[in-house]
Parts: sequence; C-alpha cells; structure tokens
Amino acid sequence: MNSPASLEQLIAALRCLPGVGPKSAVRMAYYLLQRDRKGASALAQALDIALQVVSHCELCNTFSETPVCPMCASGKREDSMLCVVEMPTDMMLMEQTQAYNGMYYVLMGRLSPLDGIGPKEIHLDKLIKRAQDGKVQEVILATNYTVEGEATAHYISELLGKHGIRISRIARGMPMGGEIEHVDAGTLAQAMLERRGVS
Amino acid sequence: MVIGATTRQENQAVYVLHSYPFKETSLIVELFTRDFGRIAVVAKGARRPRSALRGMLQSFQSLLATWSGKQELKTLHGLEWHAGLLVLPGESLMCGFYLNELLMRLLPRDDPHEALFDEYALTLKMLATQAQDSAVILRKFELCLLQQLGYAVPLIQNIHDEVVDASKQYYYLPEVGPVSSVHVGQENGVQLSGETLLAMAQDDYSAALTQQQSKQLMRLLINYYLGDQVLHTRQLLMDLQTL
Ligand SMILES: [Zn+2]
Repeated sequence: MNSPASLEQLIAALRCLPGVGPKSAVRMAYYLLQRDRKGASALAQALDIALQVVSHCELCNTFSETPVCPMCASGKREDSMLCVVEMPTDMMLMEQTQAYNGMYYVLMGRLSPLDGIGPKEIHLDKLIKRAQDGKVQEVILATNYTVEGEATAHYISELLGKHGIRISRIARGMPMGGEIEHVDAGTLAQAMLERRGVS
Repeated sequence: MVIGATTRQENQAVYVLHSYPFKETSLIVELFTRDFGRIAVVAKGARRPRSALRGMLQSFQSLLATWSGKQELKTLHGLEWHAGLLVLPGESLMCGFYLNELLMRLLPRDDPHEALFDEYALTLKMLATQAQDSAVILRKFELCLLQQLGYAVPLIQNIHDEVVDASKQYYYLPEVGPVSSVHVGQENGVQLSGETLLAMAQDDYSAALTQQQSKQLMRLLINYYLGDQVLHTRQLLMDLQTL
C-alpha cells in the first residue's frame, strides 16, 4: 500500500522530534489528520510563527522574540555577576529560588564528547566574548553535576581564567532537610569530600 | 542454554561508558562489565525526575549492576555504589571520555575482557590521583587495549623475527611491526627509534623522545583499527585549543 506523498512527508518530518521513531510518527500523523485537524492547523501555525520570531538573546543566549530578552533589558539585574547554566529550564528554576539577582548565560547544552558535542556546538566563543563586556566580575558556573556538566565547567573556567575573571562553581552536598540515612552514597561521599569549616 | 535457566546477572562489577535517551523516559546505557564485556542495557524510567538510577548512571564510577535478558539489549534492574567515589579532576575528565570512546568504538559487544576491565579501573584511579603524566597513563592504556583485543603490536621484533636494535631507526607498519626500510606504498608508517620500541616494551615512558614517538605510534595504530570511525574526544580537544 502506498500512502500519499504529502502524508509520507509529514511522517518523515515528525521523526525529527526526539524519541519519535517510525511507528510513533505514523500514529501522530494519523491522529493529526484524522482526529484533530483543528489542533493540527494550530500546531502548524504556532510552529511557523515561532520559527519566524523566536531567536536567541544577544546577551544571555536564551530564546527571545527581541534582540535582547526582557530580563537582560530590565536594568534591574546586577551586571557584575554572570551565571552560566545549561538550559533555559535551569535558568527558570534558579529564578524561582530568588537567591540570585545577576545576569545569566544559557549554553543551550553542554560539552558531550561521546555525542560529538564540542565547544563549537555550544558556542563557547560567544560566552567568552559575553563575559568580557567590562562589567562582569564574577562568573558562576551552574552547569549540572554530571560528568559532562563538570567537564563543561572545567573548560569554561580554564578559558575565562586566562582573562582574569573570578570564577565560582555552585556548591553541592546534602539536600535541604536531608537526613543522612536517606541520602544516596554518592551525594554523601561528595558532601564529606567537600566539607567546610564551621569555626 | 537450559530452557528456563535464569538470564539474570546479579551485582556485577561495571562502569558506565555512555548513555543516550530511549523513548520518553528511559535511557540506553552502554556498560563495560568485568565478566561479560561491553553490554547495552535499558534503564527504564531513568530520565524521570525521581528515578533512583538517575544520579548513579555516571561514568568513571565503579558500580554493581543487576540486569536480565539474553538479547543484545538487556534490562537493567538495579545499581549500587561499589568501591567508593572516584573524583576525576577537571583536566582528567577528557582523558576519561577518551578511554570510554576508545572502548565504545573498538570493543565489540558481549565479548568478555577481564584483564582489560582491571586495567581500565586502574587507569581511572591513576587519572584521579594524577599519579603519572596523563599522556603516559593514556599510552599505557592504548597499548593494553590493542593487545587485549588481540591485535599484535610487536615491539621487540617484527613479524619476520628481526630483533629490534636500540641504536637503529625503524618504520612501524600496522600488523607488521618495525621494519628497517619501507617499500613504495608503505610510507604511511611512523618513523621511530629502536630505543623507543624497547622502552615501550618495558613500560618505561620516562624519556621525552619515548613520550613523543609512542604518541605518534599509538595514534597510527588506533586510527588503523578505527578505520573510518572518528574520535570525537580528539577533535574536541583540538577545538578547545583554538578558543
Ligand atoms: Zn537575555
């Protein structure tokens, strides 16, 4: 049986989504065309508009409809501090804590050597330029505590350290309200290794 | 195999080599196991926020894994910390990724290599403590890897039984070994001294010349056995240099 060419094209296009294999792509295409043509049309329009208007903020690199995003443009942030995170969701979570009032830089990824994601793919050159605007005095590395996040933090600190910028890394250890009995061995071991003096 | 026999393996010594997303919430994890070689397992739900597996699936940590299944893709049931936490300093992390990439590309699945596993564990410990120059640690692992995989890397004599003389110069050809002269068409070999070859055979990388020439030799051999596969970690280090 041959499907119409445009249906085949839709199925092939849906496969660009992460975790969508050939079977799920067929299911999605049938659903959109058979059960929810209104939803499909809204999706097509939303995609089209987003592609036209959404780009990256010149300062923090997160998604933005304006050349500089509202947060960077607000003038209310401490511009001597630059917090580097992997993803926009990390920045949102950091904002929810209300513990930080500086600027951000979103890498949109991390160095992931075995996946072929290197400094070019995450545009490290852009970050290095951003950190040298003359205002930034401290760069806070808030990449994940995974091996990839650690490697990313290491190389950023190497590259920026050369330019005399103060670099810090967010701390790790016992979780808030954490009881030793219920903490995993790795976290506990790290907390012991990175213990700090109290007197 | 007896029908109904269990295919479950309990608390096996493993390291995570790499993992990548699978379906909505799972991961496919490439494990280097001591007794079963490199295997691929599905870690179901490992990408869910509260997954117990999530924080443990980190490379370079000695873990105990329990899995089942006899197909190429097995199912991971549990993980435990094994021999304490290993902390690779930032500059050693890329060496660790390089080891993992070599194993991913050169070690076939389901082929046990106990001695290589032990060497890998030792190499990670040396990188963590920076007991030696990391370049030397990597050379020793590369040589061990090729030898354990069954590739001949003759150092003290070539395949024609000609014994290496420390004072002479040689061309090293993959699968042949050191030869004193090359024919047309064999110029892709590496030129090195007999002294380097003998030092490598004795695991002695103290001389600067040995370090420099062994690097060229191992690069030639690894590229030869990789065929047209690219080593991302090597490229990444070169790209970082240009920033
Ligand atoms: Zn911005």
